[in-house]
Amino acid sequence: MQPKHKVLVIDDEEVVLDSCTQVLASGDCQVTTAMNGTQGLKLVEEMQPDLIFLDLKMPGLSGFEVLEKIRSQQPHLVVIVITGYATVSSAIEAMKRGAFDFLPKPFTPEELRLIARRGLEHCRLVQQTVALRREKELLRENFAAIVSHELKAPLGALQQNLYALTAELEDKLSDSQKDLFERLKTRLDDLLKLIHSWLRVFSVDVRKLKETFGPVSVADVVSKAIDTVQPHASRKAIEIQTAMREPLPRVNGDEGSLTEVLVNIIGNAVKYSFPNSKVCVRAEALGQEVLITVTDTGVGIAKEDLPHLFQDFVRGQAQPAGAAGCGLGLAISRRIVEVHNGAITAESEPGKGSTLVIRLPAVQSSPECSPTSERKD
Amino acid sequence: MSQPKQLLIIDDDPDFVAGVKSILLKAKYEVDVAYNPKDGLQALQTKTYDLLLLDIMMGRGAEGIMIARKLGKDPKLRDLPVLIITGIREQMAFLFPGQAVHPHFVPVDELVEKPVEPKLLLEKIQALLKTAEARKTQSK
Repeated sequence: MQPKHKVLVIDDEEVVLDSCTQVLASGDCQVTTAMNGTQGLKLVEEMQPDLIFLDLKMPGLSGFEVLEKIRSQQPHLVVIVITGYATVSSAIEAMKRGAFDFLPKPFTPEELRLIARRGLEHCRLVQQTVALRREKELLRENFAAIVSHELKAPLGALQQNLYALTAELEDKLSDSQKDLFERLKTRLDDLLKLIHSWLRVFSVDVRKLKETFGPVSVADVVSKAIDTVQPHASRKAIEIQTAMREPLPRVNGDEGSLTEVLVNIIGNAVKYSFPNSKVCVRAEALGQEVLITVTDTGVGIAKEDLPHLFQDFVRGQAQPAGAAGCGLGLAISRRIVEVHNGAITAESEPGKGSTLVIRLPAVQSSPECSPTSERKD
Repeated sequence: MSQPKQLLIIDDDPDFVAGVKSILLKAKYEVDVAYNPKDGLQALQTKTYDLLLLDIMMGRGAEGIMIARKLGKDPKLRDLPVLIITGIREQMAFLFPGQAVHPHFVPVDELVEKPVEPKLLLEKIQALLKTAEARKTQSK
């Protein structure tokens, strides 16, 4: 059997309380009554009703005040206001302020039952929506953990055994056999990276980064990112030059994810550069912003690709040999930069190279009380 | 040549363990394996190891972390160097491969991501053993 619906009636007229109790309690409702607004609000908190009937005209705390309190504390509660005869205007006013419906006095038992049923149905839908929304949020969060374990664990084990096999057979394998092993490893590695990128895009809520924002040194972020990209650059004999123009104010943000952005951007610059060329990373203050500019002289980005550059799964048409990726790096980077209240833009001339500019709001003078940290979208 | 170092692997994925164990055996380490946290803790109590390779995500959750915490509180075991091997990239999404990451569950530990290349694996193990050795002589 389903539990009874909890209905609260707040009215100063005893006859209304009695009749409501009589009519509704005969159905599947458990009715509680309150003689005034203060008592009513106390009961709202104690019993967590599914449905509230609220008289608008009461001595003491008025129905509107009670309604306002309920709406501010528990916006999902379904409130039906009881109004005197021919006061439709106040009923409409109450509905504007969040009441679900109104019941004009005097009412017949049938009217009360009907409106209560509608209210309870609405309550059920509201509760369902809230539950579904919570479930969706949970699913999204758990998705990362589930996918990482169920998908990545077998791939990881596969790769690990390939590593072991290659090491064991090192002096027995012919060059062409070694090449086959390399191909296997590369494809597996790509797959693992792809899963990782998808997880980042679909399951990690970058807005959560805001919770741990703090002052970040741009120079640190740049040098950390370069450390990560350097091996790839060295392999192609690409020189990464830096130019930090002091004084460089700090930015308010998350160091790890900002580093990730720069790894993506500088990594791309290296990836799309020709061997023996240069990639230049510059940082400078400009007005209230810090500009980080990454310039390469590589393959460049076609004009028609530029507007889509920061969308999911977009890769430029011009691909140098050996460049691999899933086209998510810039999309992730854009999200991270935007969470920092910044912007990221690209300019390019095909065949000549590209310039990507990241703009981040600078922390004003004292980093402790930065106004940017309070800014919300 | 000194005595071969004794390593213990605690990991619930037998396939992954096979891939790691073979690399370690080739490098002349002696390797024991426990496939669940319970056996792992028991092995640590009954035999003296030079290093522990610990998986984080075991069973229903991060049971590996519980082991690491227990080790940190155990006066006898807290000096055992631990290499934590994790498949959960999300928690280290911002950390970069190759970079030393110290989880600090015990005085000497480091973290690598699954799968781990043989060269990196052996380097990390050697480095951890060396650090633990240095700590030991220092405290004497």
